Amino acid sequence: MDKDKIKKALIEMLGKEKVLSEELDLMYYSYDSSFLTKLEPSSPLAVVFPRSTEEVQNIASFAFENNVDIVPRGAGTGETGGCIAIKGGIVLDLSTWDEIVEIDAPNMQVIVRPGVIHAQLNKELSKYNLFFPPDPGSSQMCTIGGMVANNASGLRAVKYGCTEQYILGLEVVLPNGEVITTGGVKAKCIKNVSGLNLTKLMVGSEGILGIVTRIRLRCWPRPKARGIAMAVFDELDDAPAAVLDVYQAGILPSGIEILDRSAIDAVNQFKPEINLPQAEAILLFEVDGNPPSVEYEGSLIKEVVGKRARSIEWATEPKRMAELWEGRSITATAAARVRADASRVFAGEDISVPLARVADTLRAIRALGDKYGIKVVNYGHIGDGNVHTAPVINPENPEEVKKVMEMVHEIHLLAIAMEGSTTGEHGVGAVRRQYAELEHGRAAQLMRDIKRVFDPLGIMNPGKLI
Amino acid sequence: MEFHKLPPVKDQIMKCVRCGKCRSVCPVFAEIRNETAAPRGHVFMVQMLRDGKVEPNNDVNERLSNCLMCENCSVNCPSGIDIHELNAAARSYIYDKNPSLSKELIFDSLWTRPGLLKASSKFMWGAQKSGLQSLARHLGLTSILPGDLSKAEKILASVPRQSARSFLPEYNPARGEKKYRIAYFLGCGTDLLNPQVARATVDVLTHYGCEVIIPRDMKCCGLPHIANGKMDTARKLAVHNIKIFNNGDYDYIVTDCASCSSALSSKNMEFLLGGLKIEDEAIAFSQKVMDLTQFLMEKLELKLPGKEVDDRIKVTYHDPCHLANAQGIKKAPRELLKQIPEVEYIEMGEANRCCGGSGTYSLTHYDLSMRILDKKMDSAMETAAAVIATCCPSCMMQLRHGVQRHKWNATVMHPVELLSQSLKQTPAKK
Ligand SMILES: Cc1cc2nc3c(=O)[nH]c(=O)nc-3n(C[C@H](O)[C@H](O)[C@H](O)COP(=O)(O)OP(=O)(O)OC[C@H]3O[C@@H](n4cnc5c(N)ncnc54)[C@H](O)[C@@H]3O)c2cc1C
Ligand code: SF4
Ligand code: SF4
Repeated sequence: MDKDKIKKALIEMLGKEKVLSEELDLMYYSYDSSFLTKLEPSSPLAVVFPRSTEEVQNIASFAFENNVDIVPRGAGTGETGGCIAIKGGIVLDLSTWDEIVEIDAPNMQVIVRPGVIHAQLNKELSKYNLFFPPDPGSSQMCTIGGMVANNASGLRAVKYGCTEQYILGLEVVLPNGEVITTGGVKAKCIKNVSGLNLTKLMVGSEGILGIVTRIRLRCWPRPKARGIAMAVFDELDDAPAAVLDVYQAGILPSGIEILDRSAIDAVNQFKPEINLPQAEAILLFEVDGNPPSVEYEGSLIKEVVGKRARSIEWATEPKRMAELWEGRSITATAAARVRADASRVFAGEDISVPLARVADTLRAIRALGDKYGIKVVNYGHIGDGNVHTAPVINPENPEEVKKVMEMVHEIHLLAIAMEGSTTGEHGVGAVRRQYAELEHGRAAQLMRDIKRVFDPLGIMNPGKLI
Repeated sequence: MEFHKLPPVKDQIMKCVRCGKCRSVCPVFAEIRNETAAPRGHVFMVQMLRDGKVEPNNDVNERLSNCLMCENCSVNCPSGIDIHELNAAARSYIYDKNPSLSKELIFDSLWTRPGLLKASSKFMWGAQKSGLQSLARHLGLTSILPGDLSKAEKILASVPRQSARSFLPEYNPARGEKKYRIAYFLGCGTDLLNPQVARATVDVLTHYGCEVIIPRDMKCCGLPHIANGKMDTARKLAVHNIKIFNNGDYDYIVTDCASCSSALSSKNMEFLLGGLKIEDEAIAFSQKVMDLTQFLMEKLELKLPGKEVDDRIKVTYHDPCHLANAQGIKKAPRELLKQIPEVEYIEMGEANRCCGGSGTYSLTHYDLSMRILDKKMDSAMETAAAVIATCCPSCMMQLRHGVQRHKWNATVMHPVELLSQSLKQTPAKK
């Protein structure tokens, strides 16, 4: 269909203030946080800002009738180009549709529209002593819709898991404009095994099956106390071994983070006053719960980890906890600043490997950095083997870009070879799709078949995930 | 200096990882809520401009001008990008390429010539009767102001009859033993819109043993020019002021205006004059520049004698972006207020959230500016304070409008006015 006709129809449908169609405006929707869209930005045909299920249905029906691609978008903080109309198409910016419909505290759940910001939701829930545990680093900016679509998680996934564990039901507009409710049309219950689990299918489907318009989320009671231990290791292998020791002592910390040598150097270089000890690795354990159990678990971690670590410190006092955590909280920023004429790039940034192979993986990534002559900073959620790799290059130098892309490909293959995955939490999008067969074998084809059932015309966020 | 060679353009654009952190802290984005108004969107558009992917025209300018220059994005950017500087540089570039987008009269003539500005403020005062529309036409303001001037008129409603320069002498001797020789950088906003603040500043400084000189030939600090894409003019103004103040053998250059101190800061001088011959002189100059509250607390180590006061006035404080974000000064004004015996200090929620004034922004983007202001007023009114104190004439103008708009019985003052009043009631002994 002709571009101008699409624009005209959308304006008629939604009103002028809910449609962007000027070329210049559309350019702003050619990127998300991925390195890919920095290299290859791609403008949509139009951007719309629906704020009701009916409006989303109308847009989908129109797209279906006219065979136009549609791409849902939250805050555009995804690292994979997931919300970009890479083949043109209509982008549905859902970030302005941000009502918290109902906080149902007695039933420990909350109903939200897709555009609610994660941090905002937890701020509101805190008034009821509740929280939604997955905690991505992008909490201040990302939307719950985006988190559902990417099955996002964060530092505390070790104990609290990913978004999928908290989604009780969804309202989804299908690519033909029909609307379905998963998890029971009227259900308000927490446990529910009736029917095929379409909720789980939708969570993590990255907007390729439908548009999520309403989310019923399970909330948990807020823990009352926290404590943090920082352990310093002279041998890299001791770090994952210490994590295992902690698990075997019967403790499930809320977070276990690693900074390897490269990250320690980056932090010290960026903020010398933090003065992290020189070491092969630093681990941070976070424990939460009720005050006596936190104290008990803290002392046990100190004892168990102390056997392998050069030193270990345990703190529950807020100021000291913040100081211990500061190195970790600025690592991503520090990585970006290790080279004055360069930047970190979000590529190959999210591999996940079995716990027992974390040390080997880190060594292999270091070797790849040396091979390509690229500075690489490593940190991540070691508690579940999710390693964040930050290559630091000049992204405007084509030579360096070419080299980093080759290295990133090797990192992805390394993850699969280590019996891991190319992505632990950020998702596949347009950047990791090529590994589908390698990661999933025959199942990859079945995934495509499932997509076809939902989206026979292939208009729903094409070119992503599978 | 050429746009492409400016340090932020040359070195910083590539550092943007599009993380979106800046989206979450931008007061304009919070209202417009689409990527065209997001700080990272501005960085992206400046990149497109740099790379020749878009033309330096008014369409781009319009989008980039959706910015208060509040610097909240820049202080929160993990990659350390001076987003506001990129924006200013790009708008200046667009302006240079399109002289027809002229805001010539108001920014090139008016603000650079104190005499003219003074005359026009009188005119403005007179225009309250005749209406702003005709005034604006006379001043050439119509090219930058939105069609509905009757709204913007309300913000400018109370221009005083006399400017500070007209009643303050150039030389003001120290009272008692002389401690410092101070040049008072009397900014346009204080001079024309808040002359009572200038009087209080001179009273307080001389009271504490400062000899205060108000150089007659100083010019505007240049911030309005930077914010409106007139970097060349801002550069000329900076060079002029540097020469004048460096000739004067002053211990410090003090200003009560947050915008002026940020415009005269070393960071901004580096942005404007970095790499030019005058850079060393500029650094020497800006090293002497201090915000008044910081000067009072840090250099004069102000300590007011405690006294029993029955009816203390409730005072809350609004952080001007150009003080809190641009210079990191948050403690000094609060400590100053807390020392004044007649003041009962109450912190407002989100005190460092922009008020939406930002110089000419409230005039050029009235409706949006009001939405931002209303959020500010909600936090301010929750304190039930009798006085909102702040250190920037632009914020004062905007907050006064907010007070009126919400029919709230509160006064907007600079902390130095409260201090001056207190000193008059009890002469302080140090
Ligand atoms: C600094 C930074 C830190 C991060 N830290 C983490 C982290 O710790 N853990 C983590 O998991 N991720 C992290 N991320 C990645 C990203 O923030 C998450 O994936 C987030 O969930 C994306 O949300 P969004 O609203 O920005 O979605 P977008 O980027 O806009 O979209 C992401 C995907 O979701 C789809 N989508 C969005 N809304 C809908 C909807 N309503 N219906 C259907 N599909 C939809 C889009 O089509 C796209 O495929 C981080 C990103 C950044 C920039
Ligand atoms: S916060 Fe900085 S790095 Fe992140 S998107 Fe904004 S400008 Fe770019
Ligand atoms: S300077 Fe302020 S208004 Fe402008 S983009 Fe940054 S945060 Fe937004």
